[in-house]
Amino acid sequence: MYLLRSSLSRNLHKFMAVPAFLLFSVFFLYPLLRGIGLSLTDWDGISSANFIGLKNFINFFKDERALNDVKNTVFFALGSAPLLNIVGLVYALMLDGNLKGRGIARAIIYLPAIISPLIMGYIWYFILQPERGYFFHILKNMNLEHLMGNWMAYYKSAMWMLIIVNVWQYAGMTMIVYLAGLQSIPLELYEVGKIDGAGYFSRLYYITLPLLIPSIRINIVTNIIGSLSVFDIIMALTEGGPGYSTESLSIYIMRMCYGSKTGYSTAVALVLFFIILIPVVLSLRIMNSREVERI
Amino acid sequence: MKRLIAFVSGILLVALFLSACGAQTEKNTTSQNSESDSIKQTGETSKRTVHVSFFTGKSETVDVINDIINKFNEQNPGIVVSQEFQKDASNVIKVKFASGDVPDIVTTYEQEFVDQGKYLDISDMDEWWSRTIPSMKENCTDIKTGKQFRICTNMTMAGIFYNKEIFQQLGLKEAKTWDEFVNNLKVIKEKMPEVTPWFIPGKEAWSLGHLIEFLPHGYIKQKYGAVEAKKAFLSNDQTKLDFGKVGGSVETFARNLLQLKEEGLINSDVISATYDNHVQAFANGDAAIISQGMWVVSSLLEANQDIAEKIGFSPYPSYMNDMQPVVLSAEDSGYSISAESENKEEAIKFLNFLFQPDNQKTYSETVQSPCAFTDVDADWGVLKDEVTSALERGYNIGFTNEKPAGFSGDDAGRMVQELLAGKYNSEEFAKAYKEAWDAGME
Amino acid sequence: MNIIGRCVRITGIVFICFIAIIPFYVLVFFSLNAPPRVFYEGNIIIPDFYFNNFTEAWVSSNIGRAILNSVIITGGSLLLLIILSSSAGYTIARFKNKFNKTVFTVLLTCMMIPGIINTVPLYTVMRSIGGINTRIGMILVCTTNALPFSVFLYSSFISSLSREIEESAIIDGCTWFKAFWKITFHYVKPVTAAVVILNGVSIWNNYAQAVFFLTKRDMYTIPIALSIYFQQYAGAKWNLMAAAAVLGVIPVVTVFLLFQKYFMKGITAGALKG
Repeated sequence: MYLLRSSLSRNLHKFMAVPAFLLFSVFFLYPLLRGIGLSLTDWDGISSANFIGLKNFINFFKDERALNDVKNTVFFALGSAPLLNIVGLVYALMLDGNLKGRGIARAIIYLPAIISPLIMGYIWYFILQPERGYFFHILKNMNLEHLMGNWMAYYKSAMWMLIIVNVWQYAGMTMIVYLAGLQSIPLELYEVGKIDGAGYFSRLYYITLPLLIPSIRINIVTNIIGSLSVFDIIMALTEGGPGYSTESLSIYIMRMCYGSKTGYSTAVALVLFFIILIPVVLSLRIMNSREVERI
Repeated sequence: MKRLIAFVSGILLVALFLSACGAQTEKNTTSQNSESDSIKQTGETSKRTVHVSFFTGKSETVDVINDIINKFNEQNPGIVVSQEFQKDASNVIKVKFASGDVPDIVTTYEQEFVDQGKYLDISDMDEWWSRTIPSMKENCTDIKTGKQFRICTNMTMAGIFYNKEIFQQLGLKEAKTWDEFVNNLKVIKEKMPEVTPWFIPGKEAWSLGHLIEFLPHGYIKQKYGAVEAKKAFLSNDQTKLDFGKVGGSVETFARNLLQLKEEGLINSDVISATYDNHVQAFANGDAAIISQGMWVVSSLLEANQDIAEKIGFSPYPSYMNDMQPVVLSAEDSGYSISAESENKEEAIKFLNFLFQPDNQKTYSETVQSPCAFTDVDADWGVLKDEVTSALERGYNIGFTNEKPAGFSGDDAGRMVQELLAGKYNSEEFAKAYKEAWDAGME
Repeated sequence: MNIIGRCVRITGIVFICFIAIIPFYVLVFFSLNAPPRVFYEGNIIIPDFYFNNFTEAWVSSNIGRAILNSVIITGGSLLLLIILSSSAGYTIARFKNKFNKTVFTVLLTCMMIPGIINTVPLYTVMRSIGGINTRIGMILVCTTNALPFSVFLYSSFISSLSREIEESAIIDGCTWFKAFWKITFHYVKPVTAAVVILNGVSIWNNYAQAVFFLTKRDMYTIPIALSIYFQQYAGAKWNLMAAAAVLGVIPVVTVFLLFQKYFMKGITAGALKG
């Protein structure tokens, strides 16, 4: 009996992932499988679903609006993901270590990410609205209003405004992960570096960055996923407009889902999944080859 | 071993903690299912509590309906009505229907649900129809089946709101034709450069969608009459609809709108202006004209009480040669009963209560729109006289419920945004509109 | 660090904070303005300090109850999440057997799946277990959503920690299981803090799912209560809407300030030496 019990307790560690997996299966995997089934049908959300094979996917590649959305989404991600990482890292480096009031500073920088996107939408638009926003009025008081045109009127300016707002709002999250990573690097390593005569940037490049790879990996993956599935920021600022010019794929999926093309929307969601999968797998491969294990 | 116990008890504790939190709510959910329970518990004929769910997407009526519900619940022990409000009601109801969670009474009404038989046929509810204005039964008729699946208790109107003070100052009169309208705008722009002649909230796709409803669709509805027009929409009869035709209602509308934009007769930031902006602008006299419905009046009054006497209301000017001015006079506040509801009797009982004259009077005065029941006399709003006279001067049209499932009013509005952003000229717009309508029909 | 370096650093930080705080400042600014004030009249930097907005917003938006619901749901979810994801992360990082590898791949892959695929089927599942309008149901859903990312975080960090920290205990007769709770868990405190902060915020702000699963007024969480409150005023009463929003944010900020101290360098140094 003792042997059985001790054998169980000795092997318990192998089962530690089971509870998590169980929960996940019921509330995610099972609905997911049913959802994937939907992508092969022409379900409109109300009447019965008819099997139509891969027709949804074929239609997707013929759909001009959908392909345009892919372009928008990729543009957004290419601008957003790298910026989020760089800015977040810079913030974390600045706020790491001993500095009075760093807690408050971290809180302030993180604040925009805390406020729900719903409310932020109102606020951002209120601040940035062309010709009527808070920012415009401040410029006007300084007689600089011509600096700000109607950014919504042009594709490039609208997209960049969205990217900037996204970085502004979420750099705090990236920063948090980097802080967690930074603070687990032992101080002694820096001491050794200093004794050897390494300057700040050398220490950064040779000591910090390699040991920060877990955090970099996490941030790159999350930022890629987050940027490619962007919904709230765009919805809040432009609603995908004017027209559909800044619509992201996630917004398109939602609109199709409730616009009686539910089966089709599920298929597009799967396409989005593949669009996300590729860069994520690539970055993970690159990261894993550079990983350093440490004490 | 100790650790194992600790781990397991940790999980158990968490579970206990969670269930303690959930216990309160469990009571609520179990009381929902108490129908069958209470029958089993008492052997004799006992009163089972019937729960009637009332699903709505109208935020402005939540409180007044709750008051009426509370009165009803008090007077009817054994029936408990509860209201569920959802902001994105038309999206949520789809999910509910799809998963079998069917509310008993709903305020959302869409053609596709009718076609799927989701609503109860209430054509024979004479005690209701005999009390409404004559046109109501016709307005609520589903063209395909000729039956009624919903009943509306109020009417709402939409048209041109204009600032009477500004018009008086500049000696302007209500425009009956498009040319007169443009002329008015030009005079305003010249003599009062600080005032926006016509303020369009272009960021709100639904508002632009309404312009399409009232102008191009309005022309069709007026040309062929309500019933024929509905049939034409449903069957995509392009001989009548003529969406893509140059010189047709859609292309002319687009051409006119672009002209207004070029000449600066609408606000220059139209694609980024919000509903809120245009309410503020009109209320403060910074905009002379807005296109809206009665639902905007309460916001206007809140922004500026004094605007009340200055609001003028007129039909939309005609912009095609063979057209009269049109004004929207549509059914509003509609109620349907789910065909799959298990509590139909009780639902009807509640609606009877809701439709009683005194309750309708309170409701109409709260939503500030006229009641469709003939035996209700409500003082429903500051614009009562303005609106009544406008209804006589313009051809009355209703909303287009017979839109394709895949091309909603919002989608139409987004196309107008693209137009205003310079993506199309008027001919391309008309063509694209036709294509989108066709595609949505599939 | 030399004086100039320090100055540059401090200036930089101040500047960043200034930029980050603008939206929040605008929010607070409106929440403190008296009702009749039109947007740009008067001073646009200093508000009126009209605190009545808060009491009125508190009462009419029923936000007190919503805060309670949000706290229970977020707290419950985080508790469950930490237990499940840290233990899963540990075993995945340390023991590369088939099951663990599968679990990891599945979780990671699912992280990339857009949530909307699940909505309708999940609603059906929730209905069949009676989870609609219950806090437990919501807790289970939120935990599930946060699992992949948290497991990813934990396993990433733990795999970069040398096995020696547990091995010294194993030699003394401890099981791997015990070793996790006794030793490893403390080493990953900063990760736990990150998990709490990052997931806590997204659970707190969850709207897309809460709006489907919590439909009764007394079950509303803060995002739902705020959204409905906003709807009723449609932009007319900015001051009340802003006041309600500020009330909804205060708990989060407080928790953040409490947890962010786990990012102070010094904890690890202490743990290593001790």
